[in-house]
Amino acid sequence: MYSKPLPTTGLDTKPFWDGCREHTIRIQRCKACGHLRRPPASVCPRCLSRETEWVEMSGRGTVYSYVVYHVAYDPSFKEDLPYVVALVTLEEGPRILTNIVECDPAAVHCDMAVEAIWKDMTDTVSLPLFRPVS
Amino acid sequence: MHAVGALETGICKYILISYGHSARSGGGMSQVLSRMAGDDAVFGHFGAAAGYALAARRAMHEYNTGPDTWKHIAVGQRKWANLNPRAVMYDRPMTESDYERSPWIVEPFRLADNCLVTDGGRAFILTTAERARDLPHPVVTIMGLGMHNPAADPVAARHLTGPTGARRAGEQAFHMAGITLEDVDACEIYDCFTYTVEITLQDYGFFGPGEGEEWFRGGTIEPGGRTPVNTSGGLLSEAYQMGLTPLTEGVMQLMGRCGDHQLGPATGNIKPEIILCSDNGGILQTHSCCILRRN
Amino acid sequence: MTLKDKYAIVGIGYTPQGTVSDRTTLDFHLEACADAIADVGLKREDIDGLVCYRYFPPAPGEGDVTPYLVAQHLGLEPAYLAQDAN
Repeated sequence: MYSKPLPTTGLDTKPFWDGCREHTIRIQRCKACGHLRRPPASVCPRCLSRETEWVEMSGRGTVYSYVVYHVAYDPSFKEDLPYVVALVTLEEGPRILTNIVECDPAAVHCDMAVEAIWKDMTDTVSLPLFRPVS
Repeated sequence: MHAVGALETGICKYILISYGHSARSGGGMSQVLSRMAGDDAVFGHFGAAAGYALAARRAMHEYNTGPDTWKHIAVGQRKWANLNPRAVMYDRPMTESDYERSPWIVEPFRLADNCLVTDGGRAFILTTAERARDLPHPVVTIMGLGMHNPAADPVAARHLTGPTGARRAGEQAFHMAGITLEDVDACEIYDCFTYTVEITLQDYGFFGPGEGEEWFRGGTIEPGGRTPVNTSGGLLSEAYQMGLTPLTEGVMQLMGRCGDHQLGPATGNIKPEIILCSDNGGILQTHSCCILRRN
Repeated sequence: MTLKDKYAIVGIGYTPQGTVSDRTTLDFHLEACADAIADVGLKREDIDGLVCYRYFPPAPGEGDVTPYLVAQHLGLEPAYLAQDAN
């Protein structure tokens, strides 16, 4: 039984989570101006166009910033302490919130090169996590 | 700001501004944090401390800041709280080594970098300066106001390491007031976390990026310091009353009603005439600046 | 025309703060408001505007605290009523 919070998958975020299920990171791209945007929404914050497509990212990026949790705000994360939450800048430009794994928290640093790996949490939910590029 | 607009239209004479929250005993703050988290909770990311910590960590990467800067803020504000019987931390002194022993919460923030979670409420009444002259307390006017809201959340934000909304809000407020930083006698800064105080003062122009450690060092913001900051103890050491902790303290200081922590000869400071107050919301997503003056 | 020094803050309301386990969010609003009105020596009827500060959800088991709920319990019928005073 998976005890951690699951995504809410509202109308705006469903395509992202559907992509994750297929182990791809999908981001919205404005068909009018080409701007890649995240978090998802129906209108481009750069040109206000509603014309949108979802495109696949490479899964490579760098750590923009990160924090190390030493306290479990939700008891289901207690076993993971200390764990790293990071903002990763994908090589295509947009940022994504994620965890850095397969790395000592003390070794994580800003601008570190990372790549996506996939963790299947339930039958329908997979999470994009990142690890250092070996 | 809204209240000033309502007065300006002439439809109101006295406006009451109110805050209250059963954040601690009632569990209200955990409601706030869980609602803020949204899908970020999937990755174990919850709420405000970690969001500001992400901003602070990036700032540490871009320029000289970190716990060596923030300890001066935590310790300095605690000294003010130790003079304020209303402060939750009135009886709890903090030394620099206490700060350094404070446990990590969301690294790079220690417990001592976090504001208090408190039950309580605060309110104030706004009217015209003209009416204020017939009322019992010394007249404290709004000399300058500014707002700026770079609304993007940390995933999309470009302002986490500054300039935040404080830059333009501060410029607007100083322009309206017709003064400069040198005219400010004290600051009451919204201090949800220590880093918030640093980035706010930095964006107001008190020091440049990375110069905070030197600026804060040597008791700058403490009783007797050259720029007193958060003279009630602030959100870190007095109580969390949102932006009303700093604003109401600024007013009370200018009214001369602050008892043992009243700026003046007893604290080794000058009696203040102008106090700069700030508030911000979200993860550095909203900012307001209010310059108060004793008339 | 500039608004510089045109408006003034004339009274402050406090409540007990820290760990106060027997009060609700609404109760803190009401006590702070009543204290502010008393601090400035006004009558309740003088108050013709109410702004509840930036919104936080109240504690579990408490109803949502809206500006009109606070106004109702203070016996106010303000001309101006709003959430958020940033």
